[in-house]
Amino acid sequence: MRSIFFRTSVLILLLAAVFTQAYAQNRIITGSVKAGDTGETLPAATVAVKGATRGEITDMNGAFRIEVQQGDAILVFSFVGYDPQEIIIGVQTVINVVLQATQQTLDEVVVIGYGRVRKSDLTGAVSSVKSKDLVKITSSSPEQSLQGKAAGIQVTSTSGAPGATPSVRIRGVGTFNNSSPIYVVDGVILDNISFLNSADIESMEILKDASATAIYGSRGANGVILVTTKSGTIGQEKTNFSYTGEYSLQLLTKKIDLLNGKEFAIIANEIPGDPEYNNVDMAPNTDWQDLIFRPAPIHSHQLSAWGASKKSTYYIGIGYFNQQGIIEKSGYQRLSVKLNNTYNLTRSLKFGNNITIAPYSQQNEPGVVFQAYRAWPSLLPYRADGTYAGVQGVGNPMANIDYSNSFNKGVRAVGNMYTEATFLKYFTAKSSIGIDAGYNKGESFSPVYTVLYYGGTESMQKHTKSSLYKGFSDNLTWLWENTLNYNQTFNEHSVNAVAGYTMQNSNSEYLNVSGENIIRDGSDFWYLQYNNVSGVGINGGLSNGVGDYYSMISYLARANYSYDNKYILTATIRRDGSSKFAQENRYGNFPSFAAGWNISQESFMEKFSKVSKLKLRASWGKIGNEKIAYANRFSLTQDMVAVFGIGDVLYPGVTYGRSGNPDLRWEVTSQTDIGLEIGLFDNKLTGEFDFYNRITDDILVDLSTPGFLGNGQGSRITYNAGKVLNRGFEGTFNWRESVGELTYSIGVLASTIHNEVLTVGGSGGIDSLLYGGNIKGFLTQSRVGLPIGAFYGYKTDGIFQNQAELDAYPHTGDAGIGDLRRVDVNDDGVINDQDRTYLGSPIPKVIFGLNGEVTYRQFDLSVGFQGQAGNKIFNAKEFIRPDAYNFEQHVMDRWTGEGTSTTEPRASYGGYNYIPSDKFIQDGSFLRLRSLVIGYSLPKATCEKMNMTEFRLYVKGSNLFTLTKFTGYTPEIGSGDVLSNGIDTGIYPITASFSFGVNLTF
Amino acid sequence: MKNRIKPLTIVCLTGLLIAFSGCESFLEKDPQGALTQETFPTTGSDALLAVNAAYGTMLDLRFHSGIFPLTDIMSDDARKGSNPTDQSTEIGPYDNFMFTKTGNELASWWSTLYMGIKRANVVIEKVPLITMDETLRSRYVAEAKFLRGLFYFDLVRAWGDVPLVSNLTPSVDLARSPREDVYSLIEQDLLDAIAALSEKGQGSGEPGRATKGSAKALLAKVYLFQGDFTNAEKYSVEVITSGKYGLEPDFIDANGVNGEHGIESVFEIGAVGLEAAGGNGYANVQGVRGTPNRGWGFNRPSPDLRSSFENGDPRLKGTIMDLGDVIDGITILGDGTTPDITRDENGTVLETECYNRKVWTPGTDVPTQFGHNRRILRYADVLLIAAEASNENNKPGQALLYLNQVRERARQGNDAILPDITENDKDKLRLLILEERRHELALEGHRFWDLVRTGMAAEVLGPLGFVVGKNELFPVPQSEIDISKGTLTQNQNWN
Repeated sequence: MRSIFFRTSVLILLLAAVFTQAYAQNRIITGSVKAGDTGETLPAATVAVKGATRGEITDMNGAFRIEVQQGDAILVFSFVGYDPQEIIIGVQTVINVVLQATQQTLDEVVVIGYGRVRKSDLTGAVSSVKSKDLVKITSSSPEQSLQGKAAGIQVTSTSGAPGATPSVRIRGVGTFNNSSPIYVVDGVILDNISFLNSADIESMEILKDASATAIYGSRGANGVILVTTKSGTIGQEKTNFSYTGEYSLQLLTKKIDLLNGKEFAIIANEIPGDPEYNNVDMAPNTDWQDLIFRPAPIHSHQLSAWGASKKSTYYIGIGYFNQQGIIEKSGYQRLSVKLNNTYNLTRSLKFGNNITIAPYSQQNEPGVVFQAYRAWPSLLPYRADGTYAGVQGVGNPMANIDYSNSFNKGVRAVGNMYTEATFLKYFTAKSSIGIDAGYNKGESFSPVYTVLYYGGTESMQKHTKSSLYKGFSDNLTWLWENTLNYNQTFNEHSVNAVAGYTMQNSNSEYLNVSGENIIRDGSDFWYLQYNNVSGVGINGGLSNGVGDYYSMISYLARANYSYDNKYILTATIRRDGSSKFAQENRYGNFPSFAAGWNISQESFMEKFSKVSKLKLRASWGKIGNEKIAYANRFSLTQDMVAVFGIGDVLYPGVTYGRSGNPDLRWEVTSQTDIGLEIGLFDNKLTGEFDFYNRITDDILVDLSTPGFLGNGQGSRITYNAGKVLNRGFEGTFNWRESVGELTYSIGVLASTIHNEVLTVGGSGGIDSLLYGGNIKGFLTQSRVGLPIGAFYGYKTDGIFQNQAELDAYPHTGDAGIGDLRRVDVNDDGVINDQDRTYLGSPIPKVIFGLNGEVTYRQFDLSVGFQGQAGNKIFNAKEFIRPDAYNFEQHVMDRWTGEGTSTTEPRASYGGYNYIPSDKFIQDGSFLRLRSLVIGYSLPKATCEKMNMTEFRLYVKGSNLFTLTKFTGYTPEIGSGDVLSNGIDTGIYPITASFSFGVNLTF
Repeated sequence: MKNRIKPLTIVCLTGLLIAFSGCESFLEKDPQGALTQETFPTTGSDALLAVNAAYGTMLDLRFHSGIFPLTDIMSDDARKGSNPTDQSTEIGPYDNFMFTKTGNELASWWSTLYMGIKRANVVIEKVPLITMDETLRSRYVAEAKFLRGLFYFDLVRAWGDVPLVSNLTPSVDLARSPREDVYSLIEQDLLDAIAALSEKGQGSGEPGRATKGSAKALLAKVYLFQGDFTNAEKYSVEVITSGKYGLEPDFIDANGVNGEHGIESVFEIGAVGLEAAGGNGYANVQGVRGTPNRGWGFNRPSPDLRSSFENGDPRLKGTIMDLGDVIDGITILGDGTTPDITRDENGTVLETECYNRKVWTPGTDVPTQFGHNRRILRYADVLLIAAEASNENNKPGQALLYLNQVRERARQGNDAILPDITENDKDKLRLLILEERRHELALEGHRFWDLVRTGMAAEVLGPLGFVVGKNELFPVPQSEIDISKGTLTQNQNWN
C-alpha cells in the first residue's frame, strides 16, 4: 500500500519536473513561406519538426506559427511541387523561407502525335519549347522564335520583308524537293503556321526521330512540329484576362559597302565606253541605300481571356500585329482571333473546338534592294525640278517604290472540332474534323509614268499604259481523323495504345486576270472591265487553274508499353495511300520501333543520389514523303495560239506539255536515333544527347531533261532518283538553380550536320548530277559525295601580272593581263568546264545556341544567342552583271599594273572576271545576339491594389548584333528550294529591332 | 446515360462504315483543266488544234535564234545595237566572235527548236490514227512535216550534227546524228509535204499555213545549202513557174505591213499587235529604241552594209532607218543613251545610231511592233536561189533572167540606177549574185549562212574575228552537254 502511493507520487513529481522542464524550454517560431518562382506567399505549406510528428500548415498569407521544444533542431518546410527545405532552428524565433519549384519531374507530360505521354515513358527524341520562350522575339511568324532554342532545328530567314516565312530544317536537309517539316496545330496538319499568333501558343514540341514522327508516317519525313494552343483548366473557375502591348522600331544594322560617286567615277574611267567623267571630284554622290531604307515600327497587341466552369473551359485570344517594312510600301498586318473551348457533355462524352481566324494584309515591295545595290552612285536621284531622275541600266529605285502598288490580302481559317468518348474505363474514342481554309486576293497596279534622265531624255523606265493585275485563290483542306485510345496501368505495367483511320482532301483553285488603260490611278478604280470602247483589254491576261488537288487515306497504330517505369517499348505502324501515285505504287507502309531504359529508376542507381535522371533510348523507323505537285505522274497537254489570215486572227492550239512519270512512288526516309538523357543534382543540371542517322531514298526530284526531248527550255520531269544521308549529333545542356530570390538558368545547345548525296539519277537514267541555282549557268551541283546544293564553279589563284605569266599558264581566249587566273584543276592544260569544282556547301556543319535567364525579385533578364558555322554563301548579286553597275568596295584595290594586286582583277563591268568562281564565295558562319529581354514586374502588393495579378514592363532587343565575315546585309540566306540554297541575289535585309512593352494579367 | 450511348454508338459506326466504303475512288484524282496525253488528239478538231500548236512555236521569241538576231550580228551586216551597255557581256561578244558556249541564247534556241519538233511529231505520229476527213488529215500531217523540216533546217545549219528525233518516244541517251542524216530527214519531210499540200489559195487553208509552194521553196534552199544545185534549181523554178507568186512593186512592202500574206510572201509568221499571246516579239527586239519607243534597238546596220549598196539603190533606205527620218509621218529621234556616232581610236566610224527598217510597223508604241509578220521565205529569195543554182548549173542566161527581175523591182522604174547585170562568167556571176543577196535580203538572217556555205566567211568575216574550223557552227549549249553527261559531243574547236 504505502509503496504504491510512493511510486505514484514519484511518478507525478517526475512528470511534473519533466513538464516544467519542457515548459520552460518551449518556444514559438513564426515566419512565412514564399514560393521562389512566383514570389507569392504559399498557403497550406507544411512546417514540420524533423524527426517528430509535429507540424503546422501555413495560413492564407503563407504565415505560420509553430511551437518547438528543446531538442528540436530542424524545421522542414515542404509543399507539393517544390523542393523541401530544412532550416536549423538555432536561436531564431522568426524564420522566413523561400521554396523552389521542383524542376522537370518525371511526371511532366509531353505532347506527341495522337496522344500525350509522360516524359519518362517517351522513347523518341522530342524537344519542347514553352510559351514563355515563344514571345521573346517580335515576329509575325512563330517559327522565328525557335531559332537557337532547340537542338537539331535550323530556322533561316528567307527574306526580311514583313510577313515572310522562314525556312525550317530539322536534322539537316532531307530531300531534294520540299525539306520542310509539317506542323500539327491542335490536331490539324498544316504546311505553315503564318496565321498563328505566338501569344496563343502554349508549347511547341519538335518531333525529330523516327519513333516520334512515325505516327505521322507519310508526312513526317522531315520532322513534325506539334503546336498546342492555350486553353482554360477545369477547376480554375475564375476568368483570367491578359493583355500585352508592344511597340518596336526596326533598323537596318548594316549597309553593304559600295563605292561612292567619286570612286565609281574613277573605276568607270578605267573601263572603255560610257560613262566617262572628266572630273571625278565633281561627280555627284548618292547613297542609294540611305534613300530606300528607313526605320520602321511594329505595333502588336494581344488580349486574351480564359477560364472554366464546371463543365467547360474556354480560351479567347485576339491579337493584332502591324509591321511596316524598312522599305517604304512594304508591310504586313494581321488580326488573329482564337477560340478554344471544351465541353463535357456527359461524364464520358466531351466535345471541343480549336478555331483560329486570321485576316491579313500584306504590301509587297517592288524589289528595289537589288536596284539600289546596282545603281550608279554618281547620279543624282532627282532632277532639278524635283522629279525622279533616270538611272542607267537599273531604273530609279525611288521611282520604282513610288509607282508600285502590290498587295496580298486574305483570310486564313484553321480549326478543329472533335468529340471524345471514354468507355469501358480504359478506352477513349475520338473523332475530329480539321479544316484549313484560306482565301487570298492579290492585286498590283502600275500607273502611267515616264522617268527622264537628268538631262531630259527619256529613260527606259516608263509605262505607257496603266496596268492592273488581280489574282484570286482559295484553298480548302479537310482532315477527318478517328482514333481509339487504350490506356491502362496495372501493377508495374503501363500500356498506352492507339489505332486510327484518317482521310484528307486538299483542293485549291486560282484565277488571275490582268488588263490595262485603267481610267484613274486611285485604288477606287482597281477593277477590270472588258470594254472595247475605252480600251481596257484583258486579251491574253486571264488564267484559271487548280493548284492542289489530292487526297490521302491512312491507317495508323501505336503501342507503348512500360514496365515499372524502367523499361519502355514502343512500336508504330502506319499505312498511307496517296492520290499522287498510280494504283501500283499508291500505298506505303511505315513502321518504327523504339526502346527506352530509365536507368535512374533502377535500384542500383540509388546510391548515386546526385543522379536524378538517367535514361537511354534508341529508335529506328521509316517515314514517307510525297510532296510533289499533284499531277506530276501525268503527261498533260498545253494550250497556246497561232495566228493566220489576212486579218491576223488568233487560232487556238493544243499540244503535249510537260511529260509525266507514271512510275512515281513514295519517297522513304529511314532514321536511326540513339539518345541519352541525364539529370543531376535534382535536375538542376539536365542534358540530352542524340546521335541521328537519316537516309532518304527514292527521293522525288525534278531532273533536268535534255532539250531534244522537246519539253522546252529548263523543263524537268519528276523521278524517284536520289538518296541522301544526314547524320550528326545533338546536345543540349541546361543548368537551372535558385538561390534565395535569385533564379537563373543557362542552356547551351549544338547540333552537327553531315549532309551527303549518296546517289542521284538511277532509274531515270538521266544524269548523276543534279543542277540548281540557274543564274549565269548552274551554280550548284548535287553529286555523289557532296552535300545537297553544293556550290560549284572555277577556282581562282591570283592575277596574271604580265604577258609572261599569261603565256605560262593555261587560259581561255578571253583572259588578259590583269585578269583572274583560273586554276586548271584537272591539269589537262586547258581551262574548260571540267575545271569547275566543288567550292563549298550552303548547309552549316554546326548550329548552336546559347540561352540564359535570370530572375531576381521583380526583375527578369533573358538573353539568347544563335549561330552556325561551316556554311558558305554564293554572293550572286555581285556577278549578275548584264550591264554597267556599281561595285562593292573591294574593287578599289583592283589591279592597275604589274604588282598592284594579286587578288582583285582589273576593272570591268562584267565578262571574264564575273563568271561564277570562288571569288564570289564567302564564309556564311555567324554568331548573333538574337534576343535580349529585360523585364520589371510590379510587386504583388501594388498589383493587388490595382486588382491585377501581374503588371510587367519590358524592353526587348532582337538581332542586336551579328558577328560574321559576310559582306551582304545578313548571312541568313534561306531558300525554299534546296538546290539553290545560300545564294544571295539581293534579298530584303533582316533588321534589328528595339521594343518596349507591357504585360498585364488580371 | 446508357440510353444515349447505344444510339450514339450506332451513329458513329455507321458513319465510319460509310467512310470506309468510299475508299479507293476517293484516291483517284484526275488532272484538272488539262487533258492527259492518252486522250489527245482523238478527233478531227483535236488534230487541227495540234497542228496549230506546232505553228505556235514560231511565236515564241526564243525560236528567233534565242531572242536576239545572232547571225546578223555576227555577220558584216550588223552590230549588236541598243545602247552600249545593254547585253554588252551576253550579246556584245557576237560582234567579234568572242561569245562562249554557256550563253542562255543558244540554250533557249536549241530547246525551242526541239519543242517545235515535238509538236510536229505529235501531229505526224498521232493524227494519222484519227478517223476524220481524209483531205484535212493528210493536209495537217503535211503541214507538220513542213514545220519539222523548217525546224531541223535551223538546227542543222546552226549546229551541224544534232540528235535526230522523229517520234514521240526518243531515248534519253540519244547522241548526235551526222548532218547528212539530218538533211535526209528534212528532204524526205519536205518531199512528203510537197506531195500532199495544195498550192497557195487552192485549198491550202488560211493564209499563213504551209503551201506546196512554201515546201518547194524551202526544199530548194535546203538543196542549195548542200550544194545540190540541180535539185535547187528544179524546185525553185517550179515555184517560179507555178504563177502563184510575184514581187511586190514597192520594196518596202516585201517585208512591210502592206505586203502581209501578199503576192511575194511564200511563208510568213502571222502575229497580232499585242504584247501577249499571239504577238511576236521578233520586231520588238530590233525596233527603234527611245523615241518613238518601238523596242530594244538590236541588230544595228553596220557602216559596211551601208557602203556596200550601189549608188542610189533605194534598198539602202529600205533596210536602214536613220535618225531624223520621217516614216509613216513619225520622226525617228532614237535613244538618248546611245551615242549617235561611235568611232574607234583612229577616228573611223564604228557605228552610227540607226535601225532595221524591215521590221518597222506604222505606229508609235511597242505592242504594234508585236504584230509584225516575219517573212521566212519570200519570192525574191526564191528568184535568187534559182539564179544561183542556174549559174552553178552552167545556165548563166537563166540565172541573169531571175537576177535582173530582182534588180528591176529594186530600181522601181528609175533606169539610172541598178543596171541589169550581164556578166556571164560563172565565178564572177557567183559573186555578183552573192552581193545581190546581201542587198536584197540584208538583216533578214541570211547573210552569215550565205558566207559560210559559199566558203567566203574566212575572207569577209576573218577581220571581225571569224575563226576557220570553229565559227562555221555554233557551240552545242554547255547545259545540254552537262545534262547528257557527255553523250552529246561538242563542235570542233569549241572546247
